[in-house]
Amino acid sequence: MLEYRTQGFNGYAVKYSPFFDSRVAVASAANFGLVGNGRLHILGLTAKGIVAEKWFDTQDSLFDLAWSETHENQVLVAAGDGSIKLFDIGLDEFPVQSWQEHNREVFAVHWNLVDKDKFCSSSWDGTIKVWSPDRPTSLVTLPTHACTYSAAFSPHDPSILSAVSSDSQLRIFDLRTPPSASNHITLTIPIHSPNPRLPPNAAAPNNQGAQVGPFAPAEALTHDWNKYRSTVVATAGVDRLIRTFDIRAPDQGPVAVMQGHEYAVRRVAWSPHLADTLLSASYDMTCRVWNDGFNDAKGAVIGAQGGPRSWAAWVAIPSSCVELIGACLGMRGGLPVSGGMRGCVFGM
Amino acid sequence: MSKPNQRLSQIQSHLSATAPSSSPASALSPLTKSPDDIVVTTCLRTPFTKGGRGGLKDVPAADLLVHTLKSLLSRSGISPDLIEDLAVGSVLPPGGGATEFRAAALVAGLPESTAVKSLNRQCSSGLQACVDIAHAIKAGMIDVGVGAGVESMSSQYGPGAVTEFSELLDSHPEGKNCKVPMGMLSEQMARDRGIKRSDQDAFAAGSYQKAFRAQQEGKFDEEIVGLKGVKWVDPKTDEEKVIDVMRDDGIRDGMTVESLGKIKPAFAKDGSIHAGNASQISDGAAAVLMMKRSTAERLGQTIVGKFVASSVVGVKPLLMGIGPWKAIPVALEKAGVSKDEVDVYEINEAFASQCLWCIRELGLDEKKVNPDGGAIAFGHPLGCTGARQVSTLFSELGRTGKRFGVTSMCVGTGMGMAAVWVKE
Repeated sequence: MLEYRTQGFNGYAVKYSPFFDSRVAVASAANFGLVGNGRLHILGLTAKGIVAEKWFDTQDSLFDLAWSETHENQVLVAAGDGSIKLFDIGLDEFPVQSWQEHNREVFAVHWNLVDKDKFCSSSWDGTIKVWSPDRPTSLVTLPTHACTYSAAFSPHDPSILSAVSSDSQLRIFDLRTPPSASNHITLTIPIHSPNPRLPPNAAAPNNQGAQVGPFAPAEALTHDWNKYRSTVVATAGVDRLIRTFDIRAPDQGPVAVMQGHEYAVRRVAWSPHLADTLLSASYDMTCRVWNDGFNDAKGAVIGAQGGPRSWAAWVAIPSSCVELIGACLGMRGGLPVSGGMRGCVFGM
Repeated sequence: MSKPNQRLSQIQSHLSATAPSSSPASALSPLTKSPDDIVVTTCLRTPFTKGGRGGLKDVPAADLLVHTLKSLLSRSGISPDLIEDLAVGSVLPPGGGATEFRAAALVAGLPESTAVKSLNRQCSSGLQACVDIAHAIKAGMIDVGVGAGVESMSSQYGPGAVTEFSELLDSHPEGKNCKVPMGMLSEQMARDRGIKRSDQDAFAAGSYQKAFRAQQEGKFDEEIVGLKGVKWVDPKTDEEKVIDVMRDDGIRDGMTVESLGKIKPAFAKDGSIHAGNASQISDGAAAVLMMKRSTAERLGQTIVGKFVASSVVGVKPLLMGIGPWKAIPVALEKAGVSKDEVDVYEINEAFASQCLWCIRELGLDEKKVNPDGGAIAFGHPLGCTGARQVSTLFSELGRTGKRFGVTSMCVGTGMGMAAVWVKE
């Protein structure tokens, strides 16, 4: 396991560069993001371990980051003062661009993987904004009226984006729909909805701990689109459960419910290599690897019978060194990385 | 509200929400249930009977193993084909018992595809067998395995069990110490460490009384699988009889400090150790079925408990009795459990002197140690004890609704072993 200490700063997000498989960026904040400066770290994975290549300091905490999909040196960060900044790692100190529209903490930024001149952001001010790096103001503002912790473009379709918020809703927006009072919302899925194919509180198959509901609404903190199954989204949050939804069947409740984390889940990320595998990081100081049972013949049979698919946490990676809060992860080349509140980046 | 306070309350709300499950377990606690946990689904043993006289004295070790494995298969209901490896701890058989144990596995109904090994780490062999199987599962070498222990001290105890030392070994002081008989060195240790005979006798009487009570109350019934139709030669009349052996026969009622105080010391005229405050020579076998939690759930096996961590340490050969004192803290540290959190300790009573010394030196609550008695009362079939402790521990934890258990023993030639278990 490789380890790097982001001395004095607590990690909130970590992402691999889409251009160099040995480069990682970390968004971090002093004092656990409550008050103080932020720092963007650019780290290199070398034979000698993780080394700092560069860092940029900001006035306020940094909560998320996204690498530019068009420029190998540019990284976008989400800041606590409501700003979004674009840094160029070929330059020193200052961002090359800064956008100030959100009224509260920006908690997510995500670059469009298909239409690469767009990115989106979401904020505690209850809005999602779509931006172009070349324009000084946002292109679209999508209100959610709830603190929105996570927003992302579909990796399969340039005009579809999704978000999860503190109101326990997964929203899907399609920017091709005409402007109207619905603000491009095409789907709203209550994350706490039960699986109607099973009676309430029915025991999960094999007593694996999966639940079918009904659930109480809980703040949703993170979500991610599956990279292979274009209609599948994983969500997680304060109720400690990870769920997968198929947006083709929004009324069918969760396809899989994965239980295991002992505190709120701060980040989920699907494997870029395996269609059925996802990673999660939680305030319980563990990162876990999950299999949602998609490729499991047995799981598929259970699914056909109407129950949630079987699943298993393969490994609870004991981030025994993370003293406070495991926060975030990215995954590339089979080597996941996690960044922790304690100020550590692990390559595992 | 200031901005930092707003952020703080927002993040607090992430943490204060109630869990969907009722488990209050903290992260990484041994109570956490992960699919890759190593769990025990069935554990049992034969009755322990007195060496040279008891009901199993004429049953060869391998036959005891056959009976134990058959019982394990029928009680667990597992398909024998799924068992990939069997580790058998045994101390006395020539050649380690490797040949006859493989045969015993086949006779018991395990298929040829089930591998078998015998191993010998003296008195901890049975625990070592369980630990080896747990680690093989953890490492992904096998999915399902059995850790077992067996000893027929009636037929195999004696001077033949140790090879003559070479001049080279004898020329090294600590090397030579490895062959000092256990009773002699324990006598010396009791003297050096000031463990009084009266204390030893009180401890031993306690073991007898606890075991007698446990037997009367049927506390061993859950773990013991009796043998029916055992051929037994009456030592008095030389008459061969067919008997049923259903319970430990070393347990005696009415043992007190006073009655034990009358027994002559065995190893020195002015010594403190005697037949009544040392472990009994016995025959017996025990077996533990282990697998991953995910496997157990898939197969519908009932989970008895979880293997958490183990330790093995070395001490001076002449102070072998202090092994548990050194091994237990190491295992607890690995498990992240404090000694006070442990509900039951099964510490082998090789000698009252060494067991008592370890309990005192570790500062353990005596009530938590061997609540149903120990080897002084019902015997110590050497290689079997470590596997026996698992079933004794889990049945006691189950009855009392407690969770954390530790098994440990001293090991001849100067070692100690311990393991931490969680009842579920």
